[in-house]
Amino acid sequence: MLEHGVLIVGSGLAGMRAALEVSEDPDLDVALLTKVHPLRSHSGAAQGGIAASLNNSNDEDSWELHMYDTVKGADFLADQDAAEILAREAPENIFELEHWGCAFSRLENGLIAQRRFGGHTQPRAVYAADRTGHALLTVLFEQLFRRGVKVYSEWYALDLVLRDNVCQGIVVYDILTGQIDAIAAKAVLFATGGYGRAFQTTTNAAASTGDGIVMAYRAGIPLEDMEFVQFHPTGLQGSGILLSEAARGEGAHILNAEGRRFMEDYAPERMELAPRDIVARAEQTEIDEGRGVTDKKDSVFMDFSPIGEERIRYALPSVLHLARDFAGIDPLQAPVPIQPTAHYSMGGIPCDVDGMVRLKDQNDRPIVGFYAAGECSCVSVHGANRLGTNSLLEAVVFGRRAGRAIRTAVPDLAPTRIEEGDLQRAVAEVDGLLKSDGPERAGAIRQELREVMMVDCGVFRTRPQLENCLRMLKNLQERYQRISIDDKGWQFNTDLVEAIELGHMLEYAEVIVTGALAREESRGGHFRKDFPTRDDQRWHKHTLAYRTDDGPRLAYADVNMQPQYRDPFPLEERRY
Amino acid sequence: MPKQDFVIERYDPVTERSYEQQFTAEYEPGQTVLDCLNGIKWAQDGTLSFRWSCRHAICGSCAMKVNGRSMLACKTQVTDIVKRGDPIRVAPMGNQKVVKDLVVDISNFLDAFERAETWLQEIPDQDPPSREYHTAKEEFDRWSHTATCIHCGACYSDCTVVAADPKFLGPAALAKAYRFVFDSRDSQKHERLEFLSEKHGIWDCTRCFMCIEACPKDVLPMDAIMELRTEAMREGITNNHGSRHSNAFRGGVRKRGRLDEATLPILSAGVRLGAIPELIGYTPGALRLLKSRKLIMAAKRHGANREGRRQIRRIFDEVEAEKARSAVDAEAFAAERSSALMAH
Repeated sequence: MLEHGVLIVGSGLAGMRAALEVSEDPDLDVALLTKVHPLRSHSGAAQGGIAASLNNSNDEDSWELHMYDTVKGADFLADQDAAEILAREAPENIFELEHWGCAFSRLENGLIAQRRFGGHTQPRAVYAADRTGHALLTVLFEQLFRRGVKVYSEWYALDLVLRDNVCQGIVVYDILTGQIDAIAAKAVLFATGGYGRAFQTTTNAAASTGDGIVMAYRAGIPLEDMEFVQFHPTGLQGSGILLSEAARGEGAHILNAEGRRFMEDYAPERMELAPRDIVARAEQTEIDEGRGVTDKKDSVFMDFSPIGEERIRYALPSVLHLARDFAGIDPLQAPVPIQPTAHYSMGGIPCDVDGMVRLKDQNDRPIVGFYAAGECSCVSVHGANRLGTNSLLEAVVFGRRAGRAIRTAVPDLAPTRIEEGDLQRAVAEVDGLLKSDGPERAGAIRQELREVMMVDCGVFRTRPQLENCLRMLKNLQERYQRISIDDKGWQFNTDLVEAIELGHMLEYAEVIVTGALAREESRGGHFRKDFPTRDDQRWHKHTLAYRTDDGPRLAYADVNMQPQYRDPFPLEERRY
Repeated sequence: MPKQDFVIERYDPVTERSYEQQFTAEYEPGQTVLDCLNGIKWAQDGTLSFRWSCRHAICGSCAMKVNGRSMLACKTQVTDIVKRGDPIRVAPMGNQKVVKDLVVDISNFLDAFERAETWLQEIPDQDPPSREYHTAKEEFDRWSHTATCIHCGACYSDCTVVAADPKFLGPAALAKAYRFVFDSRDSQKHERLEFLSEKHGIWDCTRCFMCIEACPKDVLPMDAIMELRTEAMREGITNNHGSRHSNAFRGGVRKRGRLDEATLPILSAGVRLGAIPELIGYTPGALRLLKSRKLIMAAKRHGANREGRRQIRRIFDEVEAEKARSAVDAEAFAAERSSALMAH
């Protein structure tokens, strides 16, 4: 058995930022564990920017405006204490990253450049061309390298071990050797990313399979607001690969088959720069009503011509490459067909503003020594819909806060232990898959799962669709018990890892659908055609889903309306 | 759907056996080599192992050799590389130990970044500003393309120098070092250039262009290495074989109007006691060259005539005068810029 004072699971922005913060105390032994190499983490795929009210391009911005935009963008489901912290602490976090050498794009006067973004009333997106996540991931890895933080690269976490609401550590699988081991730690932080891979059309990397979320769920922790999945309006047709919102921030238009900027029907003031849920629904409506483009009529056009070639080359080089390499279209010559694509997971592991995981039920009990940050967590700053550029910000702000909280807490925590019995479930799972000889193939089940989630639990949802989806999921879960994998070897067995990931996807997909079926209203990223309006009376609350053998059991928790430095923003109708 | 044959180089770590295996995959136009590999893995043979994640050329996981050259499988469209029914050949990256099938051990590649200390080193004992450092847009534009590196290792895999010297820092780490050399927030410019001028550094590049061809981003590693050489010499770091060679080359042409092969190795090794073993090492080769009349001792005989030499010298003078003029301009520009920044 291995042992560390602090173990961070997941090496994207949130995980690395937290690890750096813990490493400030030389007496603390911190290690970072990741199923991919840290530089491969999905944070690197974020393109458009990271929000902060720096006022470099104007002088009207403030943290309060940023907070208001965030709360309104969230369709008022965000916890206001958390949204306040996000907006207030944004500038200092940006400056810190800049001091570490982050390659932010510059204005002529040498200051950090800022651009417009959907749902933000001010130009507050700090960016590094259109590869902001990559620039941030790189700089954090450089600092981690510099400080010599121990990294377990290509180790896959299998189980979270809790005893009497105290975290003991995790059970891990070393992908290179195939060995199962345990790592005891006084504090464990999950920064394991989102769960978009359950959808057919997605921007998410192969790694975004909700592993940490499911480990927490299986350990008895409820999952919060899982039904809120963000569909990004500008995925490449077919693959769903992301074309940055920065394209619209820089001035691109979206057109239907009639060549019309249809956003004027849906968000006449903000047009293309309305929040993502609104633009995605507008697109889907145009497509569903027969005004889609290309032979398939399953997409709409993004037109780059209003931006101008020079600015496109300078500010959107990746978008230019992506459209050419993955759709064979040159945005300088022709419009690019785009469609809604599953992008971001608003829901996740419930935690407070210091990353401490809490049950948030009537007792609001904390889990001692267990923390979460980034996309796998639900603080909740994004509520029912996240604004673009707020996810990178959440990862660094709350990664840093969680790191600080851990640094303070760990010296007072008792040593932890992992018993032989704690390994049993994981050992049985791995052994079972290695000995499997059933007739089902994981690849086929995964494909069916992703298709049904996209069709029946996508941008628009109805009761019959969600009920069908749930039936299908039950069936797929049963068939999953009868899969076999081809690779029976120990070393670098990606066949095995993919099968375990599929098990996770089948588990959390059920939580998404169950929450969506129960929530009979439309709010942010969750839209019920049979309940098309927001119902604050009944549903201004967070969903909590507990695991039982018969499927998720739902409970609900209040939305925090108590920011510390100002009055809360009252609920209002969301218009753009 | 069109069908395509693939010949995949495989390696089984248990039996330590390498072998080739042929598969046939269906693909739609627009699909990539990665799509086909996943199609094979999910439907035909789950034991086939390779790394991948983002599938849009940003995570850097899926670099491998396709038809002999290193590239990202996710960024390589099948229709772009098929040739008249030939199979597409897929193999693991080069210059690195194979772990299993297309998976290689990237630790040597990553160690180079650690050796070159490619992270920002602040000015010691000085607090950072309360807001951001001011970085002139010109400066940012100078190095920002090297910051697009996704650490995929394709350049390292195809580097002809790494193949001969595994300790060579390699194109990616050197291009990353370039960025910190020219980043005004960094305090170690001179120290970095000194380290990079040592053995296994910038002067070991053979300018074969393979890294520039392999890079799936806009890094242009070899160009960065060449600029680092110029900058190192400008900083006066000339006590090394590479810059002596460069100086001797230039000096010879300026003086005699032609390359002087006889003095070049002597001047490159340096006129110093420590150079004697190196020069002795050259002797057998030099003798062979002499014998085959490839080394001409009397350079004058075949050099440019008096008028030709004068013209060549004039070219040198003009280039140097132009350089001096632009250095004055750049200084004036920088002064103006910094006073504008202070006024802000």
